[in-house]
Amino acid sequence: MNVENLERALAEIGLHGIVEVRGSLAVLRMDAEGGLADDELRFRAVDAAERHGFTHLALEVVDDADRAAIHRD
Amino acid sequence: MIEPQGMQATSLAHEKERALVAWLRERGSVLLGFSGGVDSAYLASVANEALGPDRVLAVIGRSPSYPAEQWRVARDVADQLGLRVAEIDTDEMHDPRYVSNPSNRCYFCKTELWSKLGPVARERGLAVVIDGTNADDIGGHRPGMRAAREHGVRSPLVEVGMTKRDIRERSRARGLPTWSQPSAPCLSSRVQYGLPVTTERLAAVERAERSLRDLGISGDLRVRHHGELARVELSREMLALWLNPLPMRMIIAAVRAAGFPRVTIDLRGFRSGSLNILNEVSAA
Repeated sequence: MNVENLERALAEIGLHGIVEVRGSLAVLRMDAEGGLADDELRFRAVDAAERHGFTHLALEVVDDADRAAIHRD
Repeated sequence: MIEPQGMQATSLAHEKERALVAWLRERGSVLLGFSGGVDSAYLASVANEALGPDRVLAVIGRSPSYPAEQWRVARDVADQLGLRVAEIDTDEMHDPRYVSNPSNRCYFCKTELWSKLGPVARERGLAVVIDGTNADDIGGHRPGMRAAREHGVRSPLVEVGMTKRDIRERSRARGLPTWSQPSAPCLSSRVQYGLPVTTERLAAVERAERSLRDLGISGDLRVRHHGELARVELSREMLALWLNPLPMRMIIAAVRAAGFPRVTIDLRGFRSGSLNILNEVSAA
């Protein structure tokens, strides 16, 4: 499982965010839902997560209060 | 004449139901572990008809892991069928082996249930204790089935080969309100393995799922408990509707209000045994 590679793969399909790893669950933190209501985009995102070794991909939309916490050292 | 595929399946399901009636009549009387779900409601309906209400006792095991909404459905179905019903409280929440939430948690819960129902069947002179396990349940990760075997509980739907599809089809034919009801496993199945099962966590899951139903989310729905984080699983159809900005905010607000600081939506959607898949990978 490689979080940087997954973030890159997701960014390539227009999903720019930070991925948090919780076992084989990847949590994609973004500031909007990113058009993921679209089946095709969602399938591509899930497929990318699986190709990088994750069994689950979940979306967390963070509001203004949370936004400050979205950074990685 | 070649029958359309749907008709062949219907006829096969009906044949299996006849085998089920014969199975039940051979036993003469039964105590059924009854949850009010699709399988046990169907089995109760057939048993009541085949044996008569005096020879069937449906017992509901109540505990914090049994959703209140499911209990209401169970009572309604029982009333509709004219079932004799008893309720017992089960104490799995006092068993540290259960509370610690290992991957075989269901074994301890079902051991508690069946060890209480066996004596009830003997006291009331009922020939056999049965459950609503169906043929599709065989082979999956079902540690609860081992507890059933150890306590001599029989699974007639398995023994006559009835699948979930057969059961839904025959339930519909019988006019049971449960025929299209989504599967409703216990609330503990939402809690990530290794995270202790507590009444507070179960209540948070129940509140969250009820709030989401109140918003209008239908079909398969699970709120998985990962500690401070909730992971909402919806059907594919619901994902397409609810992953838009405004509806998504409504989901987040509802689940936060239920007690989860962080709310996520699973992008693959509902998967039966979703936490088993996570656990298998973690264990590997």
